[in-house]
Amino acid sequence: MSHPYAQPLADLFPHLVPEIVLVLCACMIFVSGLFQTDRRLHHAAALASLFFALIRALPPVEPPTSDAAFAIPLLFDSLANLTRVLAIATGIVFILLSWNDMADRHAADHDACFLIIVAGLCLAGASNDLVTLFLALEMISIPTYVLLYLPRHDDASQEASIKYFLLSIFSSGLLLFGFSYLFGLTGTTNIAGILQVFYNAEDAKPVAGLAQVAMLTVAAGLGFRITAVPFHFYAPDVFQGTSTSGAAFLSYVPKIAGFVALLRVFGFVVPAAVNMPSDHALVGMAVSDQVPTLFWFLAALTMVIGNILALLQDNLKRLLAYSSIAHAGYMLVALTSAPYLSGADASTSGVASLLFYLIAYGTMTFGIFAVIALLDRPERPVETVDDLAGLAKSHPGIALMATALLLSLIGFPLTVGFTGKFFVFFGAISVQGPLGWLYPTLAVVGVLSAAAGAWYYLRIITVMYLRTAVKPIETRGAAPALLALIVCVILTFALSVPPGANWIMSAARETSERQPPLKAPAPERGLVQ
Amino acid sequence: MFDATFLMWLIPLLPLLASVTIAAVGRRWFPDKCHIPCIAGAVGACMAAILVFVAVAAGDEAPIVTGQNTPWISAGHVTANFSLRADGLSAVMLVMVTFIGSLIAIYSAGYMHGDPGYPRFFAAVSLFLFFMVGLVLANNFVLLYACWEGVGLCSYLLIGFWFAKPSAAAAARKAFLVTRLGDIGLFIGILILWAHSPGHSLEYDDVFRDPRHFHFGGMLFWACLCLFIGAAGKSAQFPLHVWLPDAMEGPSPVSALIHAATMVTAGVYLVARCMPLFGAEPAAQLIVACVGGFTALLAALIAVTQTDLKRVLAYSTLSQLGYMFLALGSGIGEHKLAGLAVTAAIFHLFTHAFFKALLFLGAGSVMHSMGNVIDMREFGGLRKVLPITHWTFLCGALALAGFPLLSGFWSKDEILTTTFEAWQQSAGPVGGLYGLLFFSALFTAGLTAFYTGRAYFKTFWGPEKLPPEAGHHPHDAPPLMAWPLRILAVGALGVGIVLGPFHLFAHFLDATWIKRAFGLLAEEHHANMPLMAASSVIAVVGIGLAYWMYVKQPEVAEQMSRRLATLFELSHAKFYFDELYELAIVKPMTILAHVCRIIDAYLLDGLVDLLGQAPALMGFLVRPVQNGLVQYYALLMTLGLAGFVLSILLR
Repeated sequence: MSHPYAQPLADLFPHLVPEIVLVLCACMIFVSGLFQTDRRLHHAAALASLFFALIRALPPVEPPTSDAAFAIPLLFDSLANLTRVLAIATGIVFILLSWNDMADRHAADHDACFLIIVAGLCLAGASNDLVTLFLALEMISIPTYVLLYLPRHDDASQEASIKYFLLSIFSSGLLLFGFSYLFGLTGTTNIAGILQVFYNAEDAKPVAGLAQVAMLTVAAGLGFRITAVPFHFYAPDVFQGTSTSGAAFLSYVPKIAGFVALLRVFGFVVPAAVNMPSDHALVGMAVSDQVPTLFWFLAALTMVIGNILALLQDNLKRLLAYSSIAHAGYMLVALTSAPYLSGADASTSGVASLLFYLIAYGTMTFGIFAVIALLDRPERPVETVDDLAGLAKSHPGIALMATALLLSLIGFPLTVGFTGKFFVFFGAISVQGPLGWLYPTLAVVGVLSAAAGAWYYLRIITVMYLRTAVKPIETRGAAPALLALIVCVILTFALSVPPGANWIMSAARETSERQPPLKAPAPERGLVQ
Repeated sequence: MFDATFLMWLIPLLPLLASVTIAAVGRRWFPDKCHIPCIAGAVGACMAAILVFVAVAAGDEAPIVTGQNTPWISAGHVTANFSLRADGLSAVMLVMVTFIGSLIAIYSAGYMHGDPGYPRFFAAVSLFLFFMVGLVLANNFVLLYACWEGVGLCSYLLIGFWFAKPSAAAAARKAFLVTRLGDIGLFIGILILWAHSPGHSLEYDDVFRDPRHFHFGGMLFWACLCLFIGAAGKSAQFPLHVWLPDAMEGPSPVSALIHAATMVTAGVYLVARCMPLFGAEPAAQLIVACVGGFTALLAALIAVTQTDLKRVLAYSTLSQLGYMFLALGSGIGEHKLAGLAVTAAIFHLFTHAFFKALLFLGAGSVMHSMGNVIDMREFGGLRKVLPITHWTFLCGALALAGFPLLSGFWSKDEILTTTFEAWQQSAGPVGGLYGLLFFSALFTAGLTAFYTGRAYFKTFWGPEKLPPEAGHHPHDAPPLMAWPLRILAVGALGVGIVLGPFHLFAHFLDATWIKRAFGLLAEEHHANMPLMAASSVIAVVGIGLAYWMYVKQPEVAEQMSRRLATLFELSHAKFYFDELYELAIVKPMTILAHVCRIIDAYLLDGLVDLLGQAPALMGFLVRPVQNGLVQYYALLMTLGLAGFVLSILLR
């Protein structure tokens, strides 16, 4: 007689075809890299496997509603689908963007590591178990170390990868520490199971303090990946030290993993099998009202520090690192207000606006890094803002596209950056209730810091258009990187207005449809009095 | 038969398409054929408008409405749809706008020939047509306001078409600023309506359903007053009338299209559209009537002494618009007269569009052949030189003067009848005021006949005199300009006699709009025979007087101007309104602006600079934390986490 959960477990494997294909292809590239050093070959193989995975990943999978959810390690619900499609699409753009950004002899290792990262990202999105989640996150982290170390061997690059390595391990340690507490408190590593225990634990007050510590530690561990202040310190140094594609990678891929993991562990996305009292607060964020308040500070700090420190930067990648921190802050605003917004209304669902902003940020940041990857050459580096001087004269098309992307980063109307900020801040303003004033205040902080931040983006535009270069940029740039740039620019506009924006928003909304509304921040509710 | 709603979308879209085409590729691909898309768009819109008109006339009394479910703006309690509406009122306006617009587009192809800004001109004219039909088709105040601003913008672009000429640039700025002043009123009026309408709706049907919604705190009066300020700005009524005469700096077809036939009537349209509100507020109506009547008289008095042919026509436009507002303002007393009033006003608007466009195009033709000279002292006796222009101008002039049986006669008579009825039906001082307005209107009618005759005789009669700029052989209008003149002349002669005597126009409006809008039948239309006779006599006497003074005894005019020197000077200087405004508004504003500039440059800039430095300063203070030491980063991360944990546990 077989185990009752044997069948659901066996059923998982057909869903895993994209990940399996990606990992198999990665293995093949590792091996073929020993004989073949032509980067185009490896890039083509990687792209082929990514496209295959994308086609396999596109049809949505129905998540199991039965009790199997309490046993299986992976849950393919709409969040998993969205993450997977996003991860693979990001992968395709990234391969294009990094086409020429490495030596031929490193191309195979680079591509293979990256495919494993994409597979890990897909798995992280589907994780329904703390162990699976941790393994998936490590499946992202460990190849990242290789990826950062590969392209350059100068001191700065080595320092950057060592810094990232040490601090990443430290954050993984924090994460694991938090996970162990969660396991200790609930007796299971299954996320659905953990959520169920929390929902049932009306009278489990003694452990609440511990639960909060666990949550915070998890948040800190994931905060490293999303570059939330004060876990952001590595970002500027590492961005500056590594290659352009490495910086592009760091600005975005760990953020997807971090935010999806936060959504999963903190119970923003509740599996259908979990029996949820209709009037109950959310797990995690609502263990007590203090956790949301701390997230409030996390979001405010991240936005303000990111934008203010970016004002002082002359190095482009360092500037983009702080910009990346600031944008993580906007996404944290969406996360902070998410428990108090019903999932029914498109314009106000916090989870949906978080995912929308995540996608929006990807198009903008990859686009800007594509500009740098296109223009940066050893003989004429593009390191500082001033290196872009005169771009409008030498490369008017690229300058125009870069301007569009920078305007989107500022949040200019008709760009996806505006639409995303609109959803995020509008959502925060819509929170009502006794402590509701906190959230509009957060939106005001966000808007003010974004306004201050507009300055450093505008400065880049000014330099491109109004300054003349001492030594004009002459490179024509690689066609694949140009393609990546064009795709990003098109998406920046296409996703900003109804057909595109609605399409993304409805996909993002599906992920949190199970989310119960919490009418107002309720101070006395939860495990701690 | 055909889908009227589809055609209603087509009417604005065709001119828009034409405008976009000309603006996008016209300058590069066919710089000297840019009139073709414009004419095609206008004529296509005109066909569609006629079909919509037929559909409205054939349909039951309900308006044809489309696009209620196409949300445009939705923010909080404000919702605006892209909804269009065709009822009797908008159908008449649509046909008038697109028909006159088509003729003027054709005329412009000849008139603007060879101008370096040819593509720009037609792009702007098409854009104007788009906004104008949008204004008429709008089914809510938000769309109306958007198009209202749009026509203002196009007017600005076209008045300043020859922007290298300082007077044109100044006139464009003046027109824009003065009408903006009115627009503020309109905006406030719309806000009041929004605040008090049921369900905060700005759709016409919801707003007009029951004016009692607005009685709260006398709000109806203020709403009407603000709407009327907007209307007065756009229709150049006293005291916002100063921009229209200056607007003649634009090309003549623009004067005909925008500043005589269409845009300036938008104010009349607005008040007519809002008549369910105005009709319920006698105080507002009295203001409308007084402003209208006063403007009519004032502008006619100024027109008598102007020497610039186009300016005479501009003041005449002011005066005729004043007539229309006088008619609208006479619609008092529980809707009984309201139907009569709007019929008279819209009828006059309709006929006026024909003869005034004709007169402006005729003046343009004179200007064209006289080498851009338009001062009547510089030329004379042109009836032999410009036969086509002469005959068509004569038709327009007679219609404007109210010569019996021509179109102006019928519509002006309806206005006089309405004002007369308002005088008869109201009692006390209000009745007396309407009586005064009635006699003032009669007097104005005489003045109108006189200054029209004066302009006509001075231009076409007397000894032949040509300015040096005209060259040796001034030529009459080329066919492209002549045919629109002929068609409009037929309209100026015939529209009144077709629609007037049997009240066809009135019956159409009754059936398709008034009955539904006011909930009851308008008062029976009847011809007031003594009044008709009186106005006929006045018109003929006015023209005769002009003939006597400017053809028979030209020295009399000289003697008159010397004998009535003060009055003459006053009229000639347009009653010093420009100087008054300069002194009372422009000067203080300039001084204020200078003061503000000083404050801004020295005080605010300093403050802003200081504020701008604050984030950088903060960044400077925080920067040492980012010292590059990895163990330090790990320590800070731990401290941050510890801070969070402690703040939770110690609370």
